[in-house]
Amino acid sequence: MKQASSRLGEPAALITPGLIFLVLAFFFPALNMLSLSVIGPAADGGGFTLEHYAKFFTDDYYAGVALRTFRLSIIITVTCVLIGFPLALIMSRSPGWVRSVLIMLVILPLMTSVVIRTFGWLVILGPGGLISWVLETAGLVGNQISLMHTESGIVIAMVQVLLPFQVLTVLGSLNRVGPELEEASRVMGAGFFQTIRLVSLPLSIPGIVSGSLLVFALSISSFITPSLVGGVRLPVMAGSIYQQVTGSFDWGFAAALSVLLLGATLVLVIPYLFVSRSGRR
Amino acid sequence: MTILKRITSFTALAAVLTFSGSALAEDTLVINSFGGSYEKTHRKLVIEPFEKKYNVTVKVITAYSSDTLAQLRAQKENPQFDVVHFSGGLETIAATDGLLAPIKPSELENYDQMYPFSVAGIEKGIGPMYKTAVIGLLYNTEKANPAPKSWKDIANPAYANHVLMTDAASNTYGMLGMLMINKVNGGTLDDITPGLDFIKGLLDTSTIVSKSPEIQQNFAQGNAWVAPYAQDYASTLIKAGLPVKFIQPEEGGVLAPITVNLVAGRPNRDLALKFIDFSIRAEASKGWAEALRYSPTNKTVELSPEIAAEVVYGEEQAGKLVSFDANKIGANRPGWNEAWSRAISK
Repeated sequence: MKQASSRLGEPAALITPGLIFLVLAFFFPALNMLSLSVIGPAADGGGFTLEHYAKFFTDDYYAGVALRTFRLSIIITVTCVLIGFPLALIMSRSPGWVRSVLIMLVILPLMTSVVIRTFGWLVILGPGGLISWVLETAGLVGNQISLMHTESGIVIAMVQVLLPFQVLTVLGSLNRVGPELEEASRVMGAGFFQTIRLVSLPLSIPGIVSGSLLVFALSISSFITPSLVGGVRLPVMAGSIYQQVTGSFDWGFAAALSVLLLGATLVLVIPYLFVSRSGRR
Repeated sequence: MTILKRITSFTALAAVLTFSGSALAEDTLVINSFGGSYEKTHRKLVIEPFEKKYNVTVKVITAYSSDTLAQLRAQKENPQFDVVHFSGGLETIAATDGLLAPIKPSELENYDQMYPFSVAGIEKGIGPMYKTAVIGLLYNTEKANPAPKSWKDIANPAYANHVLMTDAASNTYGMLGMLMINKVNGGTLDDITPGLDFIKGLLDTSTIVSKSPEIQQNFAQGNAWVAPYAQDYASTLIKAGLPVKFIQPEEGGVLAPITVNLVAGRPNRDLALKFIDFSIRAEASKGWAEALRYSPTNKTVELSPEIAAEVVYGEEQAGKLVSFDANKIGANRPGWNEAWSRAISK
């Protein structure tokens, strides 16, 4: 009896701090938000209503904002996978010091404040900035160009900051595999790319899946980089929610937008998890 | 069990801290300011002399007007600010919502020194204007040729690709500029379609930013030649060494009230009132004009001719400014935000 209780008690004690934090900082606000999203304005009595959701679905402006957010997040995630997997592969098979240098380079962007990093992008991507100057000097474009206030600019700035999440998770699963299987594959006559395709890639699927989930979740809710690099003419969901709260003071609609964003993310993420799990078996 | 005990003791500790916090509150004021060189000047002209004179502590939270109003709304049951500063008309919304407390003229020693328009709303909870800003056109004196004269000149093809506008949904100066552009195009506060249509025609050849540092950056990089914005910000750009000039277009500049307001439902009303009174004294009003080119609202302020030429000085000049009905702004703003975002989004 005593043994059974400690067998349950110990894990429970370990999980308690995390659980308390999650309840206070996530479930409680999320429930609060859910209730805000279905309560009408106080002036009309504050009863149950679906008008906030109706507003979203009957309005092509917000549909456009949602579509842009998802499209950009998918592009950012795919770009991170395409850059992150080869990078992680090289890192996992490099000698120790090369790997340390590469890891430092990859996580460096995370060590600067998001605002400072984004203002760096303003200088590089802006009119008269580095990219514009290089293209103009090379004679590729006639006029000053700017990637500021464009979707490409958002993707570039977001990939820079989210890449470490992709690279480090893929690196983790490649390290667990070890180089022996690849060596065996090469010995048995497979070429370099064939080995990557048939051995390394399938074995790092779990890392790629969890990495891209992280990247997707972070980019769909990101706010500062899209609003500074993308500007006010390319609204995304998180920015629209902020605008509803601080500019229009429409908390009900802001809550409905948040619930929809959360719901749509779950709808995409849950099947993805199931597919990747059955793929691993 | 022990965990439960610890939680209890932690809660008790938190409670003790909270209570000691309110005990301290008698000689502490919590206010907002707008950050940067503004906040530095604010500290020098008002906050620090006030702390010294009354031997109290003023806690400053950096927050723009819209963010401050959002916080006040969220804290409605238990407000955390004593005095809040607003620019661009949000005080009327806050007063209508009962977030601000009315002030009697007899409660302010400096009341009689103020221009009547600047203290007109205090009994309704709209705090006194401790100064005003003026919205007009900023232009690059080397590039913008000819110099702009009218609000409609932002559509002049000579400035194509170099017009900078400010987001009307998140920036109150941007909103006032948009309302004026709407007015000169035949719109009213009940119908901003003419203004939005005019702006839609400019979207392909202009840039829209949302924060003032972006305005400075765009002028510095040579991307912006003409921009509707505030007189005080022009002086910030000139101080940074940029060839910038401010004009009030021929249709008039727009008055942007900057107010200091008493938050309702706080225990230390007397000290907060002293702070408000201290904010509107002539010395402060004069200092704002000298340091950052804000226009004084205290009648007794005397400015040197050079500075007087760069602000709106005296009742006659102030009377020429266009001012928009704050009640209508309060009522219509959510709708404008939506219409604006829709009009400019790609």
